[in-house]
Amino acid sequence: MKETIFSIPAPLSPTANLVKFSWEGMHPKETFSIVAGLHGDQLNSIYLCSQLIQFLDAVAKGIEPGYRLKGRVQVIPAANLLALQEGTRLWSFDDLDMDLTFPGNAQGELAEQIADAVFKHTVDSQYGIVLHTAADHYEDAPHLVCLNPDSVTKDLARSLGPEIARKPEESPAFRLKLYYRWINQGIKAVIVSAGKPHQLNQPLCKTLFSGLVNALLWTGVLTCNQKKPRKHTVEFFDSGCEQLIHAGAAGLFIPMAKPGASLKKGEKVGEVVDLYTGAILDSPVASADGSLVTLRDYPIVYQKEPLAVLLGKRKFRFWPF
Amino acid sequence: MERQAIVSYQTPSGQTVKIIKHSFLSIRRWPVKRVAFVAGLHGNELEGIYLCHLLTRHLRGLQTSQPEAFKGEVHIYPAINPQAIATGNRLWPFFSVDMNRLLGGENGKSLPAQIAGALLDDLKSSANIVVDFHASNLHLNEVPQIRIIDGFHKKLIPLAVHCNTDLVWVHPPSPVFESTLGYNLNRAKVRALIVESGTCLRLNCDFANSLFNGMLNLLYQTGVLVPAEPPPPVEHPLMVQPSQVALLQSAHAGLFVGHTKLRQHVRKGDTLGEVIDPADGDLLQKVTAPETGFLFTLREHPLVYPGSPLARIAIKETDLL
Repeated sequence: MKETIFSIPAPLSPTANLVKFSWEGMHPKETFSIVAGLHGDQLNSIYLCSQLIQFLDAVAKGIEPGYRLKGRVQVIPAANLLALQEGTRLWSFDDLDMDLTFPGNAQGELAEQIADAVFKHTVDSQYGIVLHTAADHYEDAPHLVCLNPDSVTKDLARSLGPEIARKPEESPAFRLKLYYRWINQGIKAVIVSAGKPHQLNQPLCKTLFSGLVNALLWTGVLTCNQKKPRKHTVEFFDSGCEQLIHAGAAGLFIPMAKPGASLKKGEKVGEVVDLYTGAILDSPVASADGSLVTLRDYPIVYQKEPLAVLLGKRKFRFWPF
Repeated sequence: MERQAIVSYQTPSGQTVKIIKHSFLSIRRWPVKRVAFVAGLHGNELEGIYLCHLLTRHLRGLQTSQPEAFKGEVHIYPAINPQAIATGNRLWPFFSVDMNRLLGGENGKSLPAQIAGALLDDLKSSANIVVDFHASNLHLNEVPQIRIIDGFHKKLIPLAVHCNTDLVWVHPPSPVFESTLGYNLNRAKVRALIVESGTCLRLNCDFANSLFNGMLNLLYQTGVLVPAEPPPPVEHPLMVQPSQVALLQSAHAGLFVGHTKLRQHVRKGDTLGEVIDPADGDLLQKVTAPETGFLFTLREHPLVYPGSPLARIAIKETDLL
């Protein structure tokens, strides 16, 4: 079912409608919510939702052999509709980051009203996934983010496919995210981040799509008589395992590794070259063995900017007696 | 006057951007108090930058003519977000990051987060009292006011009354404040006043002059600056809590046409403006004062969506101490 959950009338423009798609089995007990497009430039996640909507429509019509809906699934594919239409990360009218406005405010600015609608329509869920891509100018290897995951959340993470899960530290800004508000309500939730903004990577979306379907099977909101849910291996990294590689100089960054690669200590991540002469100014290297989870995509870099995030073994500040 | 870069970074084309601090040191070995003024966290808020100019110019002259007047220290940080200022943008360019939402925990190690962290550390080590100047966003125009988070008010109101603002507004705490400079300074026991005045991308000399007199008075009242001739006395501000503020919002999408001026007392039923449908020539909403009071916020940007704030009226004063 496609339903408008919030209407945005605009002066001299047609009304934009925030839509939610939902499907449910005969006696639904549990709800699985998927939200994408909190930033208008995250096209992979929006495309991924379109594939899922197509699939679940087929399941509901009974034309997807073996699959049957048991619980309830709801998808909000493009939360930041106005930024999406503008082709930008944030809607330029208010420059508010929608994923820093949760739980929202029905009486507030438009971004807060939309956040309020998204939150209210998903807060009663048992499971949730927020789909993201990397931040502007970066590319993420497919990975998961989960804050202080319990065993159920870890199993949800293991059903999704990516082999890496980051456990961030809580911060005031993090507490304004939809994901945080969900887990604060007891929803078992995970953020999936993959690819880069402003780009559609179909092979990547295909891989993630299989993971999402598997997660629906694992939770039991979807069943399939020909397929059992798979449990993937996931390595969980807390924030102490993250090494940031910074640009020692400003210029053009030429990457020499790809997101998802395993790097050895001392291996080059890339080179920063002079904008005009091409002279090598900096050759950032991995400070320890690890997996490259985030890499700078846009070549122009300022000095001190992070170029890459490497996930390795935790560094102990003191000798572990 | 001493000039120091608290942090610097190189741009891709080779220039060095410096975040500058101007210091006026005390003639005393142990300064009475140390006061800092901060502006330009948001690059399009020019009012505070102009105020820092007025203060620097005045203090330079005073240091030459009456060095003995400096019983304490004054530090001025006139442009925290120089590249955003250069382009007239609220957010840190390149990443669309709000520099005033990066503090209070692990918020990544992006360049703006590093600068925000360096600023916080420098202020904590340089000042007992901080005044952080802001203007409103593109949408609203505000009379000079100080905004205080409830809980910090007992320590801040005795300072705020010296600043020659029209209003002191005590807000309830909200998660969104926890990543701001002001909140984190107050938590670190550095008393921080958040001044909001005017609108972005504009200068209002009346407001700036009022605040300039207020800041000189603050320096005088705290014993930091004791010139031969004391500054002129200042007006006592209105003290309000949210329950004493009437917020008027648009009920429609359209254009707001204001029919009144800011900084005046309005009577219940007075017309403040109207929301019109520019295409059909319809009057959508007549905006009238719901109560008698002081008009301290008025919409500046005519474009409105349902829920857009149009005006705020301080209904009655309260004793907050």
